[in-house]
Amino acid sequence: MDISEQLNATNVTGEEVEPFLELTPALVQKRRSQARIIFDRFLRNRAAIGGAVFLILLFIFCWFGPLFWRIDPNVIDVTNVAAQQAPPSLTHPLGTDDVGRDTLARALAGGRVSLSVGLLSMLLAIIFGVGIGSFAGYYGGAVDNILMRFTDVILAVPLYLLLFVLSASFTDGTPKSVVILIAIFGWTYAARLVRGEFLSLKEREYILASRTIGAKNFRLMFRHMLPNAAGPIIVNATLLIGVNIILESVMSYFGFGIKPPDASWGYMISVGQGLFAVDPWLVLVPGFLIFATVLSFNLVGDGLRDALDPHMTER
Amino acid sequence: MGEYLLEIQDLKTYFKVRAGKVRAVDGVSFAIKPGEKLGVVGESGCGKSVTALSIMRLLPQPPGEIAGGSVLFEGQDLLDLPESAMRKIRGGKIGMIFQDPMTCLNPTMTVGNQIGEALRIHLKLSKNEAQKRAISLLEQVGIPAASERINSYPHQFSGGMRQRVVIAIALACNPKLLIADEPTTALDVTVQAQILDLINGVCSEFGTAVILITHDLGVVAGMTDRIVVMYAGKVVETATTDELFVNPRHPYTLGLLSSVPRVDEVRHSQLRTIEGAPPDLTNPPPGCPFMPRCAFARAICRTMPPLEVLPGQADHLKACWVDVTDPKEQAYAEKRRQTRIEKMLAATNGHAASSQAVAEEK
Repeated sequence: MDISEQLNATNVTGEEVEPFLELTPALVQKRRSQARIIFDRFLRNRAAIGGAVFLILLFIFCWFGPLFWRIDPNVIDVTNVAAQQAPPSLTHPLGTDDVGRDTLARALAGGRVSLSVGLLSMLLAIIFGVGIGSFAGYYGGAVDNILMRFTDVILAVPLYLLLFVLSASFTDGTPKSVVILIAIFGWTYAARLVRGEFLSLKEREYILASRTIGAKNFRLMFRHMLPNAAGPIIVNATLLIGVNIILESVMSYFGFGIKPPDASWGYMISVGQGLFAVDPWLVLVPGFLIFATVLSFNLVGDGLRDALDPHMTER
Repeated sequence: MGEYLLEIQDLKTYFKVRAGKVRAVDGVSFAIKPGEKLGVVGESGCGKSVTALSIMRLLPQPPGEIAGGSVLFEGQDLLDLPESAMRKIRGGKIGMIFQDPMTCLNPTMTVGNQIGEALRIHLKLSKNEAQKRAISLLEQVGIPAASERINSYPHQFSGGMRQRVVIAIALACNPKLLIADEPTTALDVTVQAQILDLINGVCSEFGTAVILITHDLGVVAGMTDRIVVMYAGKVVETATTDELFVNPRHPYTLGLLSSVPRVDEVRHSQLRTIEGAPPDLTNPPPGCPFMPRCAFARAICRTMPPLEVLPGQADHLKACWVDVTDPKEQAYAEKRRQTRIEKMLAATNGHAASSQAVAEEK
């Protein structure tokens, strides 16, 4: 804009000149920021967008739906026989279960539990995994050996077996305890991934260069190296949410996770299972939700992987 | 010796590998006065960069190991300092520039933050103050629109611009000494001169001493006060820049100087080279390391000559038994060189034919 003003100013001699072309937004060539480039690349991936849209809708429904759908998910309606195992109707759009609880309300409540358990346990696991992995990768040698053998031990234990055993003794059926239990086993892949990234990053010349200005180990690890490993970590985190939701559902299905009467998708399936022949809705609704949610997280994860990969050719 | 800013004495840096010890730096000594500009010249693999990293104590350990010697900086031995004190020296008192500006800037940080980092570490400036100082530093290294460019990422700069940023980072805390390790090797020829001018100008302004490491004699010629010539981990000759170019006394320096192609040379004349390759530094044989490639070599070269002051010239040291200015020696060396080249040509028939063609054309 400065330039156009200057050039216009030089032409005030009165002669008729062609007016200087205004720098309209169409003419200003704007450099896309790195985040913008990644976002644009993500937008071009249809499957990932589908997954993202589904997840956004699911979040809105689960958290804001109950404001409008005011039926208590735990209210049992034993007096009215017609309200038990009811097929979808206007009062109960997805029907009711064997004790007359509204399936829609329970699905929303279960979604809140499953999603928050998935997200929180992912966060915990990633924080723990990134910590362990970065120390192992950065310091190498004995530190690396000890931490990675510890990781291997955790990976070698049959996951479901240990989850069931531990949940029987250590958890009290609240979402918080389930989050912690899942996180304890979820950090291993993140740790391995971050370790691998750090092993290669610490040999980069810019790390040597920041050593020459006197940067300390922690600064090197978390300000210089971690942002450079962000791409793989984000992808891993997204995929981990899906895995954690499945884990939570499996645990609840077998009665080791969220304690009844609180709703969770896995528990809803286990309740509806015996009644499948009579009322398939009781299994299909939570089953579809688990399937679609996990699939969506995986699609978004794949989309992010492609979008964040700097070696991807610009399409 | 309060006269010197940095004094390296008999520095020995070895790398332990499976085949034995690689003597990358083997008894190097040189010194630099405050504000002086010193060139360190030598072929690839002769220990220049390892010397620089040894001064900064940034060798990968293991396999690297400083086996002996001392690095006196402002009177204290850097090799004895604890790591925390060493960290204050790095960036605060000694800055360093690397060869390839494409790889030595962090791609995930803005250049402003990277310049500001040293300021925040050493001078404990706030984020705002660091940004302000970073802008003025960027202006000083000749980057236009510095206040906007401060928020750019390294990939938005060209190679020459990035090297300017790297220089700004190295000089941010106004260090006493700047170590520039091949600062122009990765750059365009036209940009090279600009960057050298910049280093020269900024360092003269700040009174910073410079150690300029390069394999390009042209680079050191215009800019340095004194030159150290290294070969196979040893200093073979050191003199003031003018003296070295006019009056080289070591056969290796002589070879380096005569192998620089000249614009006023006869066309199609053969370029003078130093035959052979630098020796393997794993368990090298005793004696002068240059002996196998040296046309002046003789029996006495089997023992390593000491680095001695030339008679009458206190500033000029060389490590060679032979007086290369003696016409008799020169004639003898020229003859040996010719026979060696003929032998080489005979060994490679195809090559011989092509050089004949060149000769006929003449």
